[in-house]
Amino acid sequence: MNKTNLAVLAAVVLLPFVVRPAIASEIWIFAIFGLGLNLLMGYTGLLSFGQSTFFGSAAYVAGWLLKHYGINVFVALGVGVGVGAVSAALVGYLCVQRSGIYFIMLTFALNQLFYFIAYQWTSVTGGEDGMPGITRPEFLGIDFKDPLAYYLFVSALFLFSLWIMKRIVESPLGKILQAIRENEVRAEAVGYNAPRFKLLAFVIGGAFSGLAGVLYAMLFGIVPLEAIGFVTSGNVVFATLIGGSGSLYGPIIGSFVFIWLSESVSTLWARWPLLLGLAFVIVVMFLRGGVVEAWTRFWLWQSSRQKI
Amino acid sequence: MAILETENLTKAFGALTAVNGITLKIEAGSLHSIIGPNGAGKTTLFNLLTGQFPPSSGRIVFDGKDITGTPAHRIAHLGLARSFQRTNVFPAFSLLDNVWVAAFACNASWKGFLWSKTDYYPEVAERARQALADVGLSNQADQLAREISHGEQRQLELAIALAAAPRVLLLDEPAAGLSPEETRKMVALVRGLKGRYTIVLIEHKIDIIMSVSDRISVMHFGNLIAEGTPEEIQRNPDVRRAYLGGVAEAA
Repeated sequence: MNKTNLAVLAAVVLLPFVVRPAIASEIWIFAIFGLGLNLLMGYTGLLSFGQSTFFGSAAYVAGWLLKHYGINVFVALGVGVGVGAVSAALVGYLCVQRSGIYFIMLTFALNQLFYFIAYQWTSVTGGEDGMPGITRPEFLGIDFKDPLAYYLFVSALFLFSLWIMKRIVESPLGKILQAIRENEVRAEAVGYNAPRFKLLAFVIGGAFSGLAGVLYAMLFGIVPLEAIGFVTSGNVVFATLIGGSGSLYGPIIGSFVFIWLSESVSTLWARWPLLLGLAFVIVVMFLRGGVVEAWTRFWLWQSSRQKI
Repeated sequence: MAILETENLTKAFGALTAVNGITLKIEAGSLHSIIGPNGAGKTTLFNLLTGQFPPSSGRIVFDGKDITGTPAHRIAHLGLARSFQRTNVFPAFSLLDNVWVAAFACNASWKGFLWSKTDYYPEVAERARQALADVGLSNQADQLAREISHGEQRQLELAIALAAAPRVLLLDEPAAGLSPEETRKMVALVRGLKGRYTIVLIEHKIDIIMSVSDRISVMHFGNLIAEGTPEEIQRNPDVRRAYLGGVAEAA
């Protein structure tokens, strides 16, 4: 086991002692969401500005089933992953036909389409009031209503997701997606059907978003309309960029920074998004690799200083 | 036997006919060069052969099969690989990863590509290393493609095409922008590949063409104006007028 894995594990263990378990859970949920986006944004070079489509759809569908039928918690997760993947396949199929700014606008426009469906369909989604009353059914006698038990559940799923994503980015698929990001024309010329692979990245990213969506719905017991709105899509992009896109662990750090700022600083200072904006500007101007790059640079600087 | 043939291949971009009714036969195992002044339509011909875009009319036959209109990503799997005139590599990848990706694309099986580690495919790694060795870049396998010299990038460009283990290699000006020293190296490289692959070569430098080619086709304003052995081409009056003429008169 290497140092990074150890650090992640230590963070999982220590986090509930530092912040409330609910916030700790939210951090890992958002990290799962970010892992999915990063496969698209960091590895494939596709800036999807509509990830909340998959997050929100999964939260609504699984939330509705939980609320009305009290389905098994793992069935709910499966439904979330499935809805996330299927909605991503639909959206992705349309989006990968275009590139650049048109691609981004398409992800955004389709996100808006899903948003307005949720907004209008009040009998199911509750519209602006959200969909409340989502339960966390117990499993094998474990009561997930206990915040710490739910935290353990979420963090186990987070570690599992991280492991899966690690396998994916280290597989030939990970290399192919990066090749498409680096040079799509050449990737096609050596024999890869780029749109097909982009769609695959969408579906995988959507599955991760869906998992995050269900966990989110169960965490708060409600699916607010914002869960499928463009602000949520933007937040995950911001968080991933701040943490460092293109690095496997970037979205995790980004999620930590983002959720921690929004939950703790927001109680002290209502204008906390200013800080976020500042962090974003710094990243875009000076640190394209986000916190991960800052960290590596710091250690390089440290080690070079020690040599002198 | 001809491995690659075109019949009346034509590509028009609006009013401009870049490739006009080209009928070409590339013999298996030969080195067939395509020459012509700038804008003669040579690169467009390559783009048609490799499915970058479909022809306006005409047919392309590869190994007895009609491949007209086959998209680029499928062409590579048939055994037709190309290099580009403008260096077209994966800049943030190591040299080994550049060729690895190309080698994997044409691997017999993609089984487990979603899940297995990249080192699960020893035959791909072997082909990738061989491709780097063939162009003399083995020692720099771990360097990033954007950090090597232009000359080395041209070699890498060729290695990516080789990594696909193609039957036909289409080389679009492999010596573009190279110094005389680097050009000599590249010519030696191409000569070394001769016989192992069927090669179609686009080149401007006439001395290279004359020394390595088995056959030469001459294009001028989208048309094929002559074809033959290097000696025949040098004697051909049309070619002298259209292409070599300018050089000969100046000399």
